[in-house]
Amino acid sequence: MGGLPTSRTVNGFAVNPEDPKIMFVAMRDGLFKSTDAGASWKVVGNELKKVAAVTINSKKPTEMYLSTMDGTIYVSADAGMKWKKQR
Amino acid sequence: MRKKFYIMWLLVAALWAANPIDAVAQQRNSPAFEHVHSLAMDSGGQTLFLGAHTGLFRSDDRGRSWKKVQLSAKHAHLDVMGVTPDPREPKTIYIATHETGVLKSTDGGASWTEVNSGLGGLDVHGLAIDPNVPFKLHAVVREKGDGIYRTTDQGGKWIRVDDGPEGEVKVLTSVNISTGMGGIFLYAGTSTGLQRSADCF
Repeated sequence: MGGLPTSRTVNGFAVNPEDPKIMFVAMRDGLFKSTDAGASWKVVGNELKKVAAVTINSKKPTEMYLSTMDGTIYVSADAGMKWKKQR
Repeated sequence: MRKKFYIMWLLVAALWAANPIDAVAQQRNSPAFEHVHSLAMDSGGQTLFLGAHTGLFRSDDRGRSWKKVQLSAKHAHLDVMGVTPDPREPKTIYIATHETGVLKSTDGGASWTEVNSGLGGLDVHGLAIDPNVPFKLHAVVREKGDGIYRTTDQGGKWIRVDDGPEGEVKVLTSVNISTGMGGIFLYAGTSTGLQRSADCF
């Protein structure tokens, strides 16, 4: 699990249904992505903090959504690299 | 003339204050979620569901506007800990609640049924559906009857199968990666980090 903040709460989790080794973790520290089933992680969407939950559109896995703890909704059209505030 | 204009201006200002269009529209599209626990899209790729301390909400316009979902006549307030759509049936959704166990809808969220037979407690913090065998789910129960429970008939009957991970579970997901032992992995987001276990308990 290298690259994730240690001993910190994982609030949310999402996995790409077409390639299950690609997964995302939502944490207070931000959004993290792994492409090797969780062996290593990199932060994505640098400006994001206090992420509560994340999900992937299974019909179109490049389309993703996340919510912060206070309910601000963001959308990504490029598999989690860039995020736009939706609400 | 100037006095008339001033009175008119006051009238417009008063009307706006009584019915501020922007504020009303914003409130309509922004119900208070308070503490968000879970977010999921149905397997048809149409509707987002958000589980929060204040209940379950749905959005049919990619998250721009949200409506509260009526869950139970018995419980005015439910804390929705997890939302788990069936990967093959877009209208089938399961939710995990803090107070009343697991609820299931087969009509896209219009109506809900409790599916708790066999669960040792009703404080469910995580709910995972098997992507290959969607009638198999795992649920994490906290406090009374704590542990991991499995159903193989879409919630008809639950059986306790494991003590579960260390720490408080926030999210539980079945991931379609073979363990090499006949099962796949369960990933748990917890208060102490991300953990994984083979699901063949």
